[in-house]
Amino acid sequence: MEIGLLLIAGGIATGLFGSLLGLGGGVLLVPLLTLGFDLPVREAIGVSLVCVIITSAASASVFLDRGMANLRLGMVLELFTAIGALIGGLVAFLLDERFLAGLFALLLVYTAATMLRPRDASAGDGVGGPDADGRGDVAGTVRSRIGEAVSGAGYLVRQPVPGAIGGVGGGILSALLGIGGGLIMVPVMHLLMGVPLRVATATSNVMIGVTASTSALVYLLKGGIDPYATGPAAVGVFVGAAVGSRVVHRVDTRLLRLLFAAVLAYTAILMVQRALVVQ
Amino acid sequence: MTAPVGRRSLEARVSLVLKVGTYAAMALVGLGVALMLASGRSPLDVAPVLDPGSLAADLAALRPSGFLWLGILIVLATPPLRVATALSGYLRAGERQMAVVALLILAVIALGVVVGTSGS
Repeated sequence: MEIGLLLIAGGIATGLFGSLLGLGGGVLLVPLLTLGFDLPVREAIGVSLVCVIITSAASASVFLDRGMANLRLGMVLELFTAIGALIGGLVAFLLDERFLAGLFALLLVYTAATMLRPRDASAGDGVGGPDADGRGDVAGTVRSRIGEAVSGAGYLVRQPVPGAIGGVGGGILSALLGIGGGLIMVPVMHLLMGVPLRVATATSNVMIGVTASTSALVYLLKGGIDPYATGPAAVGVFVGAAVGSRVVHRVDTRLLRLLFAAVLAYTAILMVQRALVVQ
Repeated sequence: MTAPVGRRSLEARVSLVLKVGTYAAMALVGLGVALMLASGRSPLDVAPVLDPGSLAADLAALRPSGFLWLGILIVLATPPLRVATALSGYLRAGERQMAVVALLILAVIALGVVVGTSGS
């Protein structure tokens, strides 16, 4: 019973800090399960995928209610993230656990680096990347019917083809590492496709469910999801994320980001050690 | 500028599917965890594999694995259900391109199920 309660508490912490720091739960949950509870990496990824779907579905419904997410763009892109997730879900069972642990260590280093980077000053202004409104230099703008069909109020979606390729890559990484894929898809949508950051973040949240469920179904059918480990983690992450979303506006996350960058860097070292010793 | 009424109502329906799926799944998973802890099982114990045929019996017998598996299945089914809801909305609105996109997403998910089943 103690381990179950500890796992719920760990899930709460993961959901809470993930919500406060704008990280998907997977980045924190997979190391917690592998290093803290000694679960095999692949099993931890299966647990994480289920938790990621739960938290993204809960927040996606809010984003859709508020009209913040671009459902049409999300659906076009998630076709490609789902293809990537299918490929990644199958490849994950062919790879050595040590490789997955090493890959996750790289993800942690990347995430720590992004947390140390100064936040984009235009993050909250609803303005996309260059040419976000569809005017100005149109040389790089693919004014395809798809791009226009999925554009939103005040912005034109650019470069749908590179965006789709980015989607496949995001889906593969999501399936291999048990993350939502927002770390890839938000920059792809914002910087590459000219989608305003808030819309990109909300749309990414909507997409995560389909991406993660595609690979999670492969994990499930190949015996990669353990209900006893998944249940307490899911309850904890759900509660933690709900609390985090309510207090995020009252917390100064600058110091928290610095601390977590250090924690993630240290965790990356532990994951590298695991990559070197796992049978 | 607000989205057209048809688009907003579709988003509201999709949102409802996500909410109902999430809360139904979490209720079942929460009950499963409570039963699991009450019966002294650890998350690190070997769990029973998913057997759809015994799910009803496990639920009736208040076995934690039944509630946990059903909750997990609802979690995994919620995003495809969301896509199916969008598909029906696009079909009703005559948006053939988006309907094809939704159909292709469901085909990819179904392919994952087929490949996952055949390879296990």
